[in-house]
Amino acid sequence: MAKAENVIEIKNLSKIYNAGEDIAVHALSDVNLAVKRSEFLAIMGPSGSGKSTFMNILGFLDSPTLGKYIIDGIDGSSLNNDQKADIRNQKIGFIFQGFNLLARTSALENVELPLFYRGTVSSKQMREKAAELLKLVGLGGREHHIPSRLSGGEQQRVAIARSLINDPAIILADEPTGNLDTKTTNDIMNLFRKLNDELGITIIIVTHEPEVADFTKRKIVFRDGKLIQDVLTKKKKNAGYTRELYK
Amino acid sequence: MKLSISIHSAITTLKKNRTRSTLTSIGIVIGVASVIMMVGFGYSAKIVVRQKVFSFGENAVVVQGSPKEFITAKDSKYLRDNFYEIKYASLNTTEKNIRISKGSKVASTLLNAVENDFFQIQGWKLKYGSYFSREQMDNLENVVIVGDTIRKNFIGFTDPVGQEIIIDGKPFRIIGSLEPRGLTFTQTDFDDFVAMPYMTFHSRIKNEKIRTELFVGAVDEQSLGKAINILKSYFRQKYNQTADEKDDFVILTNDENLEIAEYISLTLSSLLIGIASISLIVGGIGIMNIMLVSVSERTREIGIRMAIGARNRDILMQFIIESVTLCVLGGITGILLGYLIYFIIILMLGWQFYFSLLSIIISFSFACFVGIFFGYYPAKKAAKLNPIDALRYE
Repeated sequence: MAKAENVIEIKNLSKIYNAGEDIAVHALSDVNLAVKRSEFLAIMGPSGSGKSTFMNILGFLDSPTLGKYIIDGIDGSSLNNDQKADIRNQKIGFIFQGFNLLARTSALENVELPLFYRGTVSSKQMREKAAELLKLVGLGGREHHIPSRLSGGEQQRVAIARSLINDPAIILADEPTGNLDTKTTNDIMNLFRKLNDELGITIIIVTHEPEVADFTKRKIVFRDGKLIQDVLTKKKKNAGYTRELYK
Repeated sequence: MKLSISIHSAITTLKKNRTRSTLTSIGIVIGVASVIMMVGFGYSAKIVVRQKVFSFGENAVVVQGSPKEFITAKDSKYLRDNFYEIKYASLNTTEKNIRISKGSKVASTLLNAVENDFFQIQGWKLKYGSYFSREQMDNLENVVIVGDTIRKNFIGFTDPVGQEIIIDGKPFRIIGSLEPRGLTFTQTDFDDFVAMPYMTFHSRIKNEKIRTELFVGAVDEQSLGKAINILKSYFRQKYNQTADEKDDFVILTNDENLEIAEYISLTLSSLLIGIASISLIVGGIGIMNIMLVSVSERTREIGIRMAIGARNRDILMQFIIESVTLCVLGGITGILLGYLIYFIIILMLGWQFYFSLLSIIISFSFACFVGIFFGYYPAKKAAKLNPIDALRYE
C-alpha cells in the first residue's frame, strides 16, 4: 500500500476556547503545516504560545475547533473517541517530560503496554518485541527493573522504546529532556537522531530549549497561537554543537 | 483489550496494593462468611429440630384403634410379618405419672408398655444391657428398660443392669438402659421414662383394658404412604366397616409437628441470612469507597493508558475487573472461613454438619454482583476522564 508522502497535513486549523460569555480565546488560529515522512521537527515557542495545544491536537488528545488534520492519510475530523484511541495507539508514539511510565511495573511491561491495547499480538511476541526495543534504546539487560530503580535518562529510554512498539507514523515528544541534566539530554537527543537517521522515524519534539531544537532538522515557532516561523535548522551550528559536547 | 489481559493487569495492580486490597475485601469476606454460616446453622438447626420435636419416630405412624375393640399383639405381629412396607410394629400403652422409687428416692415418670420394635421405631439405642427377651415377655417377668434420666437419678453414672427399682409399688429388675436424647424443643425431657413389656404391664400393673396405640415403622420414606394404605384397609376390615363408613380409627403422622418446627427454623434462618446480607452490602460500599479513592489516586495512570491507546471501555473494564476480583477473592475466602467457623461451632455443639452447594453458589454470585454493582460507578468515573486532564493531574 502506497503511503501518502505527507505523514501530517494540517490546513487552516484553529482552536478556540470559550472563557465565559462572549469571550473567545484563540489558542491556535489558522495553522497550516505539512510534515513529510522521516522529518525531525522541533516545535518551539514561549509558554502560552499555543504549542502545547497544538501538540495535544497532533496527538489526538484534543480536537481542533476548525480546520483539517490528516495523519498518515486518515482524516482526523470525523473520528469518535474509540477511533481516536486507536490512532493514539497505532499511529502515534508519545514521549512526555515526566516520562509517564507506570509505577511498580517493569520496563518490559511498560514497553509492552500499547500492544496490550492493540490486542492482536500474542504475549510471547509482545515480550520479544519489547525486549528488542529495549536493546535498541540501550537498556538491554534492564528489562525487569521498575521505573524507580532507573535513572531519569533510563526512564526516558523506556518511554522511547514504548513509543516505538506499534511502529507509529510519528513520535510526539513533549519536552522530553525537560527533567534531564545536560549530559543525559544529549544522550537522549542523540538517540532520537539515531532513530531518525538510521530508521527513518518521523519525530516531532516540543521544546523551549534552543539547544535541544538544534538537534532537529526543522524548527517551527509559535507565538500567540500563530505559526510564525518555519525554518530548516542550520547544519553548521547543529554539527558544531554536537561536536562540542562530545569533545 | 482482551479479557485475560484485563484480569491479569487487575490482579497485578491489586498485588501491588496488597494491604489495601486485603483490608478492602474483608467486608466481603465477613459478609460471605456470615451468609455461609447462617445457612449452615439453619440447616443444622433444622436437623436438630427434627430430632427434638416430639415424633413417633422416623417414617413412623401411630394407629389409635376404635374403643369398640382394642388393638392386640396379634395385630402387630400380623402386620409386621406379612407386609414388606411395614418393618416394625409395636403396641404401646402410655401411663403418665407412674410412681417410681428406689430407697428414699421417689419420682413420678412416664411409662411405656411396649414390644421390642418400639425402640427401633423411635430410634432408641441401648447404652447398657439388652432388650426384652422372649422368655421375659412370655413369663411376664418384672423387667424394665430405663431412660438415661431415670438411670442417672436412681442408679447413678454406672451400669444399672440387675439393679432393682420399685414401679407402682412392685419390684422390677432393670435389664437395660438407653442412650440419652436430651430435651425436646419444648424443654421436656425425652429420657425421663421407663419401658416394660406390654403384657407385663397389663398383668402386673393395669389389669383393666385401656386404650392401646400401635406404633408402625415403614421400611423407608417412600413406603410410608403405602404402609398407611395397608393399615387403613387392615383396620377397616378388622372393624368390619362398609365402604361409605368413616374410619373408626385414627392414623397419626409426624407431619404437623415437623411442619411447625421447620417453619420456625426457616423463619429464624431467613432472618439471620437477612442480617448477614446487610454486611455484604456494607462490604460492597467499602469496595466502592476504595475504588473511588483508587481512581483519583491513579488519574495519571489512567491518562497514560489513554494516551497510549486505551479506549474508554478498556479503562472501564480494568476497574470493574479490579473490583470484581476483590469481591471474588473475598468471596472465596469468606466461603472457606464461613465453613471453618461453622464446622468448629457445629463440632462443639455436637450438631450435624450440612454442606450446601447452593449457598456457595448464591453467596459467590452475590459477591460477583456486589463487585460489578459497586465497582461500576468508580470505573465509569475513570473511563470518563479527559486524557489531557488525566495526564496533567498531579
